[in-house]
Amino acid sequence: MRAAANPPISLNDGAAGSRRRGLMQRLGMRGILEIGGIYAALILVLFETLYPLLWVLFGSLKTKQEMLSNVWGPPSSLVLQNYADAWRIAGMGSRIVNSIFVTGSALIILVAVATPCAYAVARLRFPGRGLVVAVAVAAMLVPPQVMAIPLFLVARDLGLINSRLGIAFIYAATSLPLSVFILRSFFITLPADLEDAARIDGASRLEILIHIMLPLVRPGVALILIFGFIEIWNDFFLAFLLLRDPSVQTIPLGLVSFFQQYDSLWTLYFAALTITTLPVIVVFVAMQRQFIAGLTAGAVKG
Amino acid sequence: MSTRPQEEAPVSSRSGTWRFNAGDGAVAFVMILPAAILFGLFYLWPFVNGFWLSLHNWDGFSDPTWAGISNYKRLVHDRIFLGALRNNLIFVVAVVVLKNVLGLGLALLLNRALLGRTFFRAAAFVPVTMSFVAVGLLWSWIYNPVFGLLNSGLDLIGLAGLKRSWLGDADIALYSIIVVDVWKWLGFHAVIYLAGLQTIPSELYESAKMDGAGPLQRFRHVTVPIMMPIIFINTILGLSGAFVRNFDIVYVLTKGGPNHATEVVLTYMMSKAFQDGAMSYAAAIGYVLFMIVGLASVGLLALMRRQRLDV
Repeated sequence: MRAAANPPISLNDGAAGSRRRGLMQRLGMRGILEIGGIYAALILVLFETLYPLLWVLFGSLKTKQEMLSNVWGPPSSLVLQNYADAWRIAGMGSRIVNSIFVTGSALIILVAVATPCAYAVARLRFPGRGLVVAVAVAAMLVPPQVMAIPLFLVARDLGLINSRLGIAFIYAATSLPLSVFILRSFFITLPADLEDAARIDGASRLEILIHIMLPLVRPGVALILIFGFIEIWNDFFLAFLLLRDPSVQTIPLGLVSFFQQYDSLWTLYFAALTITTLPVIVVFVAMQRQFIAGLTAGAVKG
Repeated sequence: MSTRPQEEAPVSSRSGTWRFNAGDGAVAFVMILPAAILFGLFYLWPFVNGFWLSLHNWDGFSDPTWAGISNYKRLVHDRIFLGALRNNLIFVVAVVVLKNVLGLGLALLLNRALLGRTFFRAAAFVPVTMSFVAVGLLWSWIYNPVFGLLNSGLDLIGLAGLKRSWLGDADIALYSIIVVDVWKWLGFHAVIYLAGLQTIPSELYESAKMDGAGPLQRFRHVTVPIMMPIIFINTILGLSGAFVRNFDIVYVLTKGGPNHATEVVLTYMMSKAFQDGAMSYAAAIGYVLFMIVGLASVGLLALMRRQRLDV
C-alpha cells in the first residue's frame, strides 16, 4: 500500500542490472544497431556539454597567439603564467574571500532563522499557524527579482549597500520561504513519541528542537544548504544590485568586471573562469549523487 | 463548526503534538519572530513599498509626488518595454519547450543506456552547477567571431556559409541566448525526467508490447500518461525560472543589445532605474512582471488541479 502510493524513485543503475544477462544473444542485429545509436547520441551530448569546458581549460594554458591559430586543440606548451596574471589582475583572492564570507554568513543565518520557524509551524499549535504557512507559499510565487528596486531602496535606507553582512541577510530572506516550506515537510513526518518523552523529562521546546529534532531532520537541512549554496554562491543579480564597491564584490561580479574592464586578455579570462569554475565542478563530481538527488528531490517528491 | 465531536483527538494518528498546550503560543511566537523580522524587512516591505512607489514619480532622492497609475499608462505606450516583454515571452516559451522536449529525449536515452548511465547523467548535470555568469562568459567566447568555437567549427566541417555574428545580429541574438539557457538547464530537466521514467514498471511496457504496440505507441500511451505529473513539474520549474532568471545571462552576453533586440523586462527595469534614475517607473515595471509571473503560476496550478494532478 505504502509502496504503491509513493513508488521509490531510484537514481542509480540497480534496475538495469537484472536484465543484463544474455544481453547480446537477446538483442540481435537490430538491437545492437539501436544500442549503437543510443550511445552515439549520448556521446554527442557529452561532447556538447563537456568540450566547451575542456576548451576553456586548454585556452587558459595557451599563449594568445596559439589561442587564435589553434582554436580546437590542446595547448602545445603549458603557459601557467596565465593563472598567476589572472589571479593578480582580476583580484581573485579578495573575491573568493568575499564569496566565502557572504555565502557562509547567509547560510548560517538561513538555517538559524528557518529551522525554529519551520519547527513551530510543523509541531506547535497556535493561532495564525495556517497564516504563516500560507505566507510562505505565496512568497514562493513572488520572485525577489521583481522587487529589486524597492529592495535596493530598503537596503540603502538601512545602510546595507556595499555591506557583505547586509547582503547575507538579504540572501537569507530570499531563500527563507522555500527553506521553511522544505524543513516543515521534514519536521511533520517525525514521530511524536520522542518529543513527548523528552517533555515528560522536563526538556524545554528549544532543547527538544536542538537536541532531539534537529539531528533527525539533518537531510532537510542538507537540502536547503545545497539549494542555498548553489543560489547564493552563483548569484549575480542581487550582488550587482547591492555590492557596488569592488573591494566587497563576489566572484561572479569580479568575473564580469574583469571581462569588461580589460580588452581581449582572452587567455587570462579563460584562466579566471577555470579558477572559479573548476573547484565547484570537482566538488560536484566528488558528491554528485547527493547533489543531483538534493537538487531534484524537491521536484520529484512535489 | 464550533463543536467538533473529536476536539481532543489528534489530527494525525502518528503525531500527538497537535494537542493544545497553553505554553505553545508564546514559544511559537519566539521561534517565528526572527523569520518574521527577516521576511518583513527584506521581502514583505519591499513588496508593499514597490507598489506604493509605482504609484508615484520619484528619482530616488527628491520628494516623491503622487502619480496615480500614470507610470502604468506610460508602460503601455513604451515601445522598448513592449519589445522587452515580447522578447521575454519568446524566451519563456522557447526555453520551456526546448528544455522539456530535449530533457525528455535525453532522459529516454539515459533510461536505455545500461552501461555508464551514472557517468553520462553526471556529465549532463555539470552545467547546472555553473553560475549564469560563468555560462554566459563561456558562451560569449563560443560565439566570438574571431576565435569562437562555433564559427571555427563551421569552418572545419565546411559550412563556412553559416557563419554569423551570433550575438551581434539583431535577428538571431535572442535565439543565441535561448540556446545558452537551454544548454545550462538541460541536464537538470533530464535528471528529473529520468527519475520519473525509472518509476514506470517494465510490466506495463511488456503488456503493451504483447498487445502489439510499437515503440511510438508505447511512448504515446504508456510513457506520456504516467509522466504527466513530471511534465507539469518540469514545466513549472522551467516557467518560473524563465521569466525572472534571465538578467545575468542577457547582461553578460549582450546587455540587451544590439538596439534592444535582446532586451528582457529585467534588463530594461535595471537600466531605467540606474541609468535614467526613474526609480518609480522601474518599480512599476517590476510590478507588471510580478503580475505576469503570478498569473502564469496560478493558471498552471489551476490547470494541474483540473487535470487532477496532485503534485
